[in-house]
Amino acid sequence: MNTPVEHHLIVGTVLFALGMIGFLTRRNLILITLSAELMLHGVSLNFLAFSRLHGTFEGQAMTAFVLTVAACEAGLALSIVLALYQRRKSLDVRLWSELAEAEADDTEPPVPPTPPVDPSARLPHLAPAGRAPTIVKQEAASRV
Amino acid sequence: MNWLATEWALWLPLVAGAVALWLLLPSPEGRLRGLGAALGAVAIGTAAAGWLPVEDGGVQSVLFGVFAVTAVGGAGKMITDRSPVYAALWFAVATLGVCGLFVLNSAPFLAAATVIVYAGAIVVTFVFVIMLAQSTGASGYDNRTQNRFAAVVGSMVLLGCFVFTIQQHLAAGESRGVAPLRSERRPPANLLSVPVRADGLGTLRGFGRSLFGDYLYSVELAGSLLLIATIGAIAVAPRRTQGAL
Repeated sequence: MNTPVEHHLIVGTVLFALGMIGFLTRRNLILITLSAELMLHGVSLNFLAFSRLHGTFEGQAMTAFVLTVAACEAGLALSIVLALYQRRKSLDVRLWSELAEAEADDTEPPVPPTPPVDPSARLPHLAPAGRAPTIVKQEAASRV
Repeated sequence: MNWLATEWALWLPLVAGAVALWLLLPSPEGRLRGLGAALGAVAIGTAAAGWLPVEDGGVQSVLFGVFAVTAVGGAGKMITDRSPVYAALWFAVATLGVCGLFVLNSAPFLAAATVIVYAGAIVVTFVFVIMLAQSTGASGYDNRTQNRFAAVVGSMVLLGCFVFTIQQHLAAGESRGVAPLRSERRPPANLLSVPVRADGLGTLRGFGRSLFGDYLYSVELAGSLLLIATIGAIAVAPRRTQGAL
């Protein structure tokens, strides 16, 4: 007789919880990535347990895709880890916990409100545009 | 309070596991690691007794127990080890345990593929990167953890909720081991996804029919994803001209 599907589900959940603890707790970038892979192990086990329960292949196909995505994710994560290591020469995640620039200040001084305009007041009149300029004859002679 | 007394099989492994993990996770001052290891063994034992009741002691139950303990123990050692190289190797041990459970779930091809890809490629790549990026010994940030109490308590609460839900489902109906093939119950929509007896659940032939019949687009997309990820990894990786690695 096979082991019931609930046992496999519980083992998958325990693996997921352990991976979550490792992900949230450890400070080494590589160990964080490994904990994410451990969570993916738990999820794959869950998929396969249900696949065996229903007798279909959907869970196994999903596990194959999870494996593919995990391989892509591991490769890209390691490239990013190497690039980050080159910047700060350390694998500590706390160095990257604040991604904002230090000198960027997004608080601007408050703009004073404009005084309300009285609609009955006479508005100032500007001089009409397009007035012909006055040319001084002496400047034109000295420019040559 | 009465509920706590009657449901001790649910929360006792959780509490023991939480205390064990809190003690075993690396910290600058030397904690009671022996007590943590003992509590971890107690947690695994009570979890096996309380959550995984064994009806008959057949070979499958023994195999399940061996693989489950390997997977969970390897995972526990992985997240609590101070050296990242040892942690990567414990992850390989946990992967072997998980692949044993894959075989018990009638997925031998996926078990072999997971061992090859994870323990063969991913762990080796991780060990390479660790060797490249960590020239000195165990550094300060390897001996310290952040948010230890919150992470352990939150994860154990989540685990308790999951186990409680699964146990409610187990109590509601009888547990089912293997269901008959779907084609025997109702005709599926796609004729290619009808697994005949020769293409049963554990066969590679049936898995191939499902993968390339039902999920052909997904398979092609996964291949494109692998290509794009390779290009991305080469693009993101730092050059030697940008500075010494």
